[in-house]
Amino acid sequence: MGKRNDIVVLSSDGEDDDCSVSSSNRSYSKPKSRSLVTRSNPRGAKKPRLSGSRSHLSKESSNADEIRFFCEDFDEVFNGFKVSAGFGGSNTKGLWVDKYNPRSLEELAVHKKKVEEVKVWFEERLRSSKAELSNVLVITGQTGVGKSATIHAIASHLGASVCEWSTPTPIIWQEHLHNSSTGINYTSKLDEFENFVERIRKYGLNLSSSTEESKSATVLLIDDLPVLNGKVSFQRLQNCLHLLVQSTRIPTTILLTDYSKTDSADHTGRCLEELQLCLESAGACKVAFNPITNNAIKKTLSRICRQEKCNATAEQIDLIAKVSGGDIRQAITSLQFFCLKPDSMHSLSLRDTTTTYSREKPDEVSSMDDGFPLQFGRDETLSLFHALGKFLHNKRDSENAMALDQDEFPLQQRLLRLPLKMDAPEKILCQAHGQARPIADFLHENVLDFLSEDAIDDAWAVASYLGDADMLISTFRGMLARYNEAENVLQSAAASVAVRGVLFGNAHPLPSRWHAIRRPKLWQIEQSSLRNKNEMVKRRFNGYSRPSFSNFSVVTMEYTPVFKWLGQGISGGLETHQVLTQCNETNDNFDKMSLDDKESESTDDEIEDW
Amino acid sequence: MLWVDKYRPKTLDHVMVHQDIAQNLKKLVTEQDCPHLLFYGPPGSGKKTLIMALIRQMFGPSAEKVKVENKTWKVDAGSRTLDIELTTLSSTNHVELSPSDAGFQDRYVVQEIIKEIAKNRPIDTKGKRGFKVLVLNEVDKLSREAQHSLRRTMEKYSAYCRLILCCNSSSKVTEAIRSRCLNVRINAPTDEEIVKVLEFIGNKEGLQLPSGFAARIADKSNRSLRRAILSFETCRVQQYPLTSKQVIPPMDWEEYIAEIASDVMKEQSPKRLFQVRGKLYELLINCIPPEIILKRLLYELLKKLDAELKHEVCHWAAYYEHRMCLGQKAIFHIEAFVAKFMSIYKSFLIATFG
Repeated sequence: MGKRNDIVVLSSDGEDDDCSVSSSNRSYSKPKSRSLVTRSNPRGAKKPRLSGSRSHLSKESSNADEIRFFCEDFDEVFNGFKVSAGFGGSNTKGLWVDKYNPRSLEELAVHKKKVEEVKVWFEERLRSSKAELSNVLVITGQTGVGKSATIHAIASHLGASVCEWSTPTPIIWQEHLHNSSTGINYTSKLDEFENFVERIRKYGLNLSSSTEESKSATVLLIDDLPVLNGKVSFQRLQNCLHLLVQSTRIPTTILLTDYSKTDSADHTGRCLEELQLCLESAGACKVAFNPITNNAIKKTLSRICRQEKCNATAEQIDLIAKVSGGDIRQAITSLQFFCLKPDSMHSLSLRDTTTTYSREKPDEVSSMDDGFPLQFGRDETLSLFHALGKFLHNKRDSENAMALDQDEFPLQQRLLRLPLKMDAPEKILCQAHGQARPIADFLHENVLDFLSEDAIDDAWAVASYLGDADMLISTFRGMLARYNEAENVLQSAAASVAVRGVLFGNAHPLPSRWHAIRRPKLWQIEQSSLRNKNEMVKRRFNGYSRPSFSNFSVVTMEYTPVFKWLGQGISGGLETHQVLTQCNETNDNFDKMSLDDKESESTDDEIEDW
Repeated sequence: MLWVDKYRPKTLDHVMVHQDIAQNLKKLVTEQDCPHLLFYGPPGSGKKTLIMALIRQMFGPSAEKVKVENKTWKVDAGSRTLDIELTTLSSTNHVELSPSDAGFQDRYVVQEIIKEIAKNRPIDTKGKRGFKVLVLNEVDKLSREAQHSLRRTMEKYSAYCRLILCCNSSSKVTEAIRSRCLNVRINAPTDEEIVKVLEFIGNKEGLQLPSGFAARIADKSNRSLRRAILSFETCRVQQYPLTSKQVIPPMDWEEYIAEIASDVMKEQSPKRLFQVRGKLYELLINCIPPEIILKRLLYELLKKLDAELKHEVCHWAAYYEHRMCLGQKAIFHIEAFVAKFMSIYKSFLIATFG
């Protein structure tokens, strides 16, 4: 018993095999200290739901908190636990994503045609390694559509072993310092990847270690490409992959993850696209995986539910599937998370108050509607323009909805507004990652288009609120960095004031019609005004006759217009040189100034004369 | 060379407008050591002229040999070094600069650059170290921090150099600085004084001034001597034998603001507000200071307004001017003022004419 405990605690990679063999029904034990406490009695752990369901619940939900955290590296950490997946019915722990990792082609949620396509490709390559066929397959698709799972499943179906390129562990800075002091050269991840590819191209996979395995076919899987930054490294990777496509003899699959288009400003996204084109041009086959359909996700989820014996209703599964956006990994994780907590909540309401539930059903569903996306869904982001559109269009409920909460708080009639037909503005701002300054600028630029024809009072209210926001933003301008906290508060307050001011001020919103949202002209104005200013500051010295510091505003307000008058022949452009010549010609009685190109020098001389 | 520069008095004795102040200053420098000075007054009143003449009085004609220098200063600001580009105007005995040109880095200018300049003192003929004069323009535009460090600089280097500060409004200069200086207020010249100067220039140029012409220019000039002389010269260029009925060309931006004002009076709607915004942008592009725009706009609006509204409109103008100073983007506040005016005016129109 004691020995078992030890093994459970040591759940590092190296111990995986032992662990999965000895304690097959327990798997996930990452929060180490906690697991020690709660599992001091391993016998009890087998029947947790019966004995102490309360403590069990709390423990599990805290586990669930960790799940998110470990999502990224669960591949590495939980590799060894796959064996435990056989225990479907019992309430074993561990990520369901791994537990229900598809092992056969039937289990894949990926569309049949796509699977078939990939399978055929592999069969062709494995049967006859003819040189004329390109040996590289590129699979694209967004995250969690089962790219890697497909490969693994097909490979095991065909009896081939998968050889994966796994990124070496990154070297942290201290380690690097240590290494370099001991004389070990640093090789970048990209270097290592290049070496790897080189080896593969020249010698094939090095299988000298196990001779028997060499008989079975091997498939190479390149899942994560090295991180790129900069053009040079991108070029190197491109060349390297290009060579790989042209000359490898092992069936190779390269997985490229499409990032959603909303992040298209991201550099890597564009890089990957380019990379994909390059690979295709080199002769690689390409299969694009679509997001998994709702039905497929639902099927998988309900299968898992059956196996886990958890009672999620069809609607809930439906909702999770919908919200996951075609990402099955996300969907399964959500389901697991959902099944942890609600055991108490939802099933209770199901069991005890069946009647009330049915009565409140519409309510329940609607509450789930806005509850779920936050808890289970993928992160929802709004584009800035979407958010601005919401604010500017200012959609509100119709009159009758008002009647309900009229008794709450007596307001003057002119201050009353219909309830908003959207989330709280702050929430939308948060989703759009709106910064106060650009938000205010955009609103300022566009809001007048959305006001009704003769609502000048509204225009005033809006303008005034935007002014408030501007003041809030600039309150701490130029202050030291230590006021960061205060500054953040101010920023969000300013954004809130700007948005709510626009919503409130626009008391008679137009019926929505199409408006283009313009980029703030103000930015352009500021730039050109700055440029003009710099030019004038420079010109202040070599332009006007005598070097002197005149106030800047004086230059713009008095000298410039006068020069325009004096040099009427010149259209607009205030070339000082020309202006000066002109005014010299007009001042005949004044000695011919020597207007060389070096104006400052000549004016210097002049001063002495005067 | 413009007449403004050509007829700028070179010595304190030749000053025509503020003769009493000039005489006092002359006494001050000839009889005893001169303290730090702070000149303040509205634009076009002759502050700069007096300062230049004063420096000439101190150091003789050599002070007029100035050279323009555009130099990049390296300032060590704690963790990093800043490059500040600044233009200075200097002779052997004085340096003139506008610290506010450096924008938000002005305090480094005040601390470091002035320190450096103050250290390089000239040696006079007797081998004694003379003192240097630093002329700082637009002190009222300096940030609070910069003014604070300026105070320290003044104390520390008062043995080596004298500061002459120049600004429009002394209320934006901190108490600490004001108390360390001899404050000299330069009033705007009266219309009669302006007329006198213009007649003097006309004489020198050999022009025939029709009667009342100079008075009209003076009237239009807003009591700014510089502006009067500039528009005098413009008139001369436009049409020579000057006639008394000749139009005095207004400043283009003022005309533009008048146009905005009549726009606002004609129609009050968000659409019009949007057009007005476009025109305001035009002004801002040409670097007309927003405070001036607001002030001028109010002036133009008041001209056409019913007496009963004037009070309220003035109140709002002041309100938004204040907020403009606190805020960053002037256009927000000017526009808010225009919107408020439209709103007031519209309800007035409805109340009066139904």
